[in-house]
Amino acid sequence: MKKKAGPGRRLASVLNRDNVAGYVFILPFIIGLLVFTLIPFLTSLYLSFTEYNVLSPAKWIGLDNYKEMFFEDPLFWTSFKVTFKFAFIQVPIKLAVSLLVALILAKATRLTGFYRSAFYIPSLMGGSVAIALLWKQLFSPNGVINQILGVLGLPDDTAWLGDPKTALGTLIALGVWQFGSSMLIFLAAIKNIPYSYHEAAIVDGAGPVRRFFAITLPMLTPIIFFNLINQVIGAFQAFNSSYLITQGRPLNTTLYYGVHLYNKAFDQFKMGYGSAMAWFMLLVIAFFTALIFRSSSAWVYYESEGK
Amino acid sequence: MKKRVFATLCAGMILAGSLAGCGGASTDSAAGGNSSGAQNAEGKTTLNVLWWGSQTRHEQTTAMLEKFEELNPDIDVVMDYSDWDGYWTKLPAQVAGGQTPDVFQMDYAYLSQYANNGVLAELDSYIADGSLDMSNVEQNILDSGTVNGKVYAISTGTNAPVMLYRKDLVDELGLELPMNPTLTQYMDVAKAVYEATGLRDTFITGCTSANLNFYLRNYGMNFFNDEGNGLGFDDPQYIVDMWELALKAQEEGWGLKPGEGTSTTAFDSMVVEAWSRQQNSNELQAYRDATGKDISMVMIPTMEDATTPNSYLKPAMYWCVGADSEVKDAAVRFINFFTNNTECYDIVGIERAVPISSEMREYVAPNLDEVSQEAVDFIDYVSQPDKTSPIMNPDPAVGNEVDELMNQYSEQVRYGEITDLQAAAQQFMDEANQILAEGAAAE
Repeated sequence: MKKKAGPGRRLASVLNRDNVAGYVFILPFIIGLLVFTLIPFLTSLYLSFTEYNVLSPAKWIGLDNYKEMFFEDPLFWTSFKVTFKFAFIQVPIKLAVSLLVALILAKATRLTGFYRSAFYIPSLMGGSVAIALLWKQLFSPNGVINQILGVLGLPDDTAWLGDPKTALGTLIALGVWQFGSSMLIFLAAIKNIPYSYHEAAIVDGAGPVRRFFAITLPMLTPIIFFNLINQVIGAFQAFNSSYLITQGRPLNTTLYYGVHLYNKAFDQFKMGYGSAMAWFMLLVIAFFTALIFRSSSAWVYYESEGK
Repeated sequence: MKKRVFATLCAGMILAGSLAGCGGASTDSAAGGNSSGAQNAEGKTTLNVLWWGSQTRHEQTTAMLEKFEELNPDIDVVMDYSDWDGYWTKLPAQVAGGQTPDVFQMDYAYLSQYANNGVLAELDSYIADGSLDMSNVEQNILDSGTVNGKVYAISTGTNAPVMLYRKDLVDELGLELPMNPTLTQYMDVAKAVYEATGLRDTFITGCTSANLNFYLRNYGMNFFNDEGNGLGFDDPQYIVDMWELALKAQEEGWGLKPGEGTSTTAFDSMVVEAWSRQQNSNELQAYRDATGKDISMVMIPTMEDATTPNSYLKPAMYWCVGADSEVKDAAVRFINFFTNNTECYDIVGIERAVPISSEMREYVAPNLDEVSQEAVDFIDYVSQPDKTSPIMNPDPAVGNEVDELMNQYSEQVRYGEITDLQAAAQQFMDEANQILAEGAAAE
């Protein structure tokens, strides 16, 4: 390569530096991060200390939003409790179901491919409006679920989404039904467990149940850990199913934190209050994530550690 | 080596391209910022128009605005629209971003908030100098767009609240709802329809602040007081009455119980669960089209012992001009076109309700289809003396919060969670008055 003289050469040598090429390639991402994430993120922190109705400029009110949240807004605590209930019921069930289905689908049969896709489809359509409306129809007083119950001779007049006792459960069922993505991750992990472990256990006379608890489950703990964190964060941020199906009704039994936040921010235009709620939720999620991370050393098994 | 230079340059070019895109836009807006107002490359004035509505409205409005451009070759209209729900997040976002449209639709409930926050331009001077011709418009309609003594909004037409009902079912039973029914007459039909078809009432069981407002207006009061700093009534008995009637309707079966609704849309509701529904008069067409049923309308039921008519004539929606718009003259020209030009009404008819100009009303009358004619006749009927009383003031800024509070209480009453109605009504009023007082103080 012939060396050119002057600014062209200097430019070429700058562009040729490894770091520069790297930065240029990630520049679109950095700009995106700054404009669409970091700036709104910090703005919302600022707004959480203001009263801001969008139309007139934000007014600094210090900690008033947080005070109102904790001491004056009964629905804040209602929504907080609903979200906890939702998360603590849905996450374990969803993990168990997705692990169970993954175990079943790990066995290769001719239809396995079909079943894998079939079970994954609800997750693909997860957040969609159509699924939410479908759920609403299925569980309406004269919907399919009640008709099936009627045929079986069971009480068929429950308004699943209208009864304060059953509404949250019905939404949790929708969430659990969308187990596909964690199921796929489990499936991949199960297939990664060397079969030689099982062979050794079989030689020692271990049955399938014993092998599950002694080999499969311990080997899967890193994946359970990963899925658990993802699911917990997702559950705390739940919004769609309540907003689209029940709008928090009946009697606020499905009023997720996210829905209450949305109502405050976009219905009553209390953007400052909404921001404060969002920041509090961030802290709660951070706390639980840290808690799970802390606990992981006690129950997550990494082969490489050679425990 | 060469490859890497090439790749880096490619990435750089992509980036430069996107930056250039931004740069181009900013140059445009800089040009728009000069003293002669927003002009595009051809020297035309750019007019941003934003509205909400159904698909029908979007199509009609687009055609109407194209007509406006044709008649005003110096104006280039940039159209933007949304549905109702999206509109009330879109418009505030544009306002907050300093991109308030030049002309946009406004609703009665939000008018005072937007006016008080300085988002809307005053229109009095344009009316005074004749560029906004209001000579064929009644004073009370002009008043409906007035906040603190200044005109901020021009109504698109006159509407009235109505009770839509399934005429097919009522006819089949040999019953009739008079044009101006009393609550007793309405309930008799409701019971008969329920027994024959199983369809129920959602008006009496609604228990929203809007429903309470209709009840209060029988006695010359409104839900919010005129100043918007408190409730417009001080006797909790009105709320108790409303709740007791709703509970009675639920127990007897002809009122829809909470949580029993099966419909996914308001249109759907009039097919699967309810025989009637409170809406506005210009929505008749939409309900007939969407349900395929013979739906008709009467006035909102009144109390036998009423002292004033509870109904009112309402501006269906308004056109407003952005306070910071650089092309207010063009914006006003459009509103004048919408208010006074026959060519506009050739396209839009009475989709935004019956026109406010008496001349335009006469112009559209002979060309109306059957449903539109029914809507016009209805407004004519309601416009007779003693059928209506003046409309309440626009909602205060914290109105939504109070409405939501009412819903919270009503839901608990309807689920039987609250049994001491007196105490609950009083508690609601105390909380609502506090929210309203604080809201007024903050403004």
